[in-house]
Amino acid sequence: MKTSRIFISALLTEAVGILVILVIWGGVSTFYPPYIIPSPVETLKGISSELPVGLSGHLAVTLYRILTGFLIAFLLGTFGGILSMLARADKPVNSLMVALQVVPGTILGVIFLLMFGIGSATPILLVAFLTLPTLAINTTNGISKRNTGTENYLHSIKASKWQIIRYSYLPALVPVIQSNLSLGISMAVKVVVLGEFIGSQDGLGYLLNRARIIFNMQEVFFYLLLLMAFSLAFQAIQSLVFTVSLKKFAYPEAR
Amino acid sequence: MTPDTIIKTFELSKTYQSHEVIHNLSFELKRGERIAFFAPSGAGKTTLIHILAGLEPATSGSLLVNETAPVVFFQEPRLFPYMTVEENIKLPWRIKKDSWTIQTQLHYQEWLRVCELNAWKNHYPYQLSGGMRQKAALIRGFLGNPALVLMDEPFQSIGQAAKTTIIEFIKRHYPNLAILMATHSLEEIPLLTDSVYYFVSNQLVTPSKLNSFDFQSLFSGLLNPAPVFVPSH
Repeated sequence: MKTSRIFISALLTEAVGILVILVIWGGVSTFYPPYIIPSPVETLKGISSELPVGLSGHLAVTLYRILTGFLIAFLLGTFGGILSMLARADKPVNSLMVALQVVPGTILGVIFLLMFGIGSATPILLVAFLTLPTLAINTTNGISKRNTGTENYLHSIKASKWQIIRYSYLPALVPVIQSNLSLGISMAVKVVVLGEFIGSQDGLGYLLNRARIIFNMQEVFFYLLLLMAFSLAFQAIQSLVFTVSLKKFAYPEAR
Repeated sequence: MTPDTIIKTFELSKTYQSHEVIHNLSFELKRGERIAFFAPSGAGKTTLIHILAGLEPATSGSLLVNETAPVVFFQEPRLFPYMTVEENIKLPWRIKKDSWTIQTQLHYQEWLRVCELNAWKNHYPYQLSGGMRQKAALIRGFLGNPALVLMDEPFQSIGQAAKTTIIEFIKRHYPNLAILMATHSLEEIPLLTDSVYYFVSNQLVTPSKLNSFDFQSLFSGLLNPAPVFVPSH
């Protein structure tokens, strides 16, 4: 299949979810006046006539924070998960991650705000800290489900530790990485908004908070739509990358 | 122990928690010798193969495997799902960083012909039948000209005609190969091996080796087991 066709197909798959949300949103909006829940059409019409000042700058800042925070969490979570499995310390590391998971985001956000002040540090660290446990737990769970049969075969032909990592651990990581990307980015989008609510004076989260305070629901829904569109595009791109270059690692195991 | 000895065990036992899987097993395998371990399912054959291959330790007793690289054929082909048949077969060379010589290539092509896998060498394991996958695993193991192979039900998914052809090919091309084959298929014993040990539960019933043909006829006459039919896929 051509790359462009794969991308469009991935995009369409992701768009189905958005479409369902739009239909439900449209349906619910018929029961409420536009100043409470504007319909998708009213939202787009209203915003297109009056785009918020500096929107592209705010959007860029938010994307930077999402991607930076997510990258930190992704690298720490994935490599931390691998190292904990190799060091056979996955159980204590998992316990630590579960403990981290129960820390409320708002409290953590306030702590980061007091430590680092207003700016990018709070949302980035919030994304990293709140996304990390899920990614680390997902990684250790994924590796623990690797094919031990082929790993035993590698031991029987006296493969080195590195060769066992290369032929057994890394292939088992491919679906884990894909699910980490998919799961992690959605969480990162949600958390960055919280971080910008608490400790920023720019970004979509800040705009969202400002619009929320003055009950400008058209703007609120528009920003939510933007965040959803970003998630959709990201999912479509990662789906494209995995389908084109890493598809064989998803082939079923033939026992 | 003579210099000819390739495997020797003395009172080898294996216990999982309170369940003893292998009980005081003592036997010897010489270079070039081909013996079968005939036992019903669950009698500890796979555990024995794993112990001999160094994949798990024995609980007690002593064990000597006088061969650095015995080739193990597991019950399942254990092919890597993300590699083609050819990539799977060539993997041991990549692991050992050995060069793939012209002789190896010629031998490989002969094996592909015997196993009728030539048209399938660029396919992935999930695209193959169970028998084809098992054949690919056999090629991967035999192509390196091993001195000792440990086989755990190696032909269970391969059809009768193909099995006979492959066994004849092995006997013709590897006359000095030492084979220890664990099986519960009576018909495979005289096809590939010269002698047999018979187990029931975790106990060695025959204290000394029996001739494979004698054992087959004796066992068939005594118990009249149902003919073993392995469907071809």
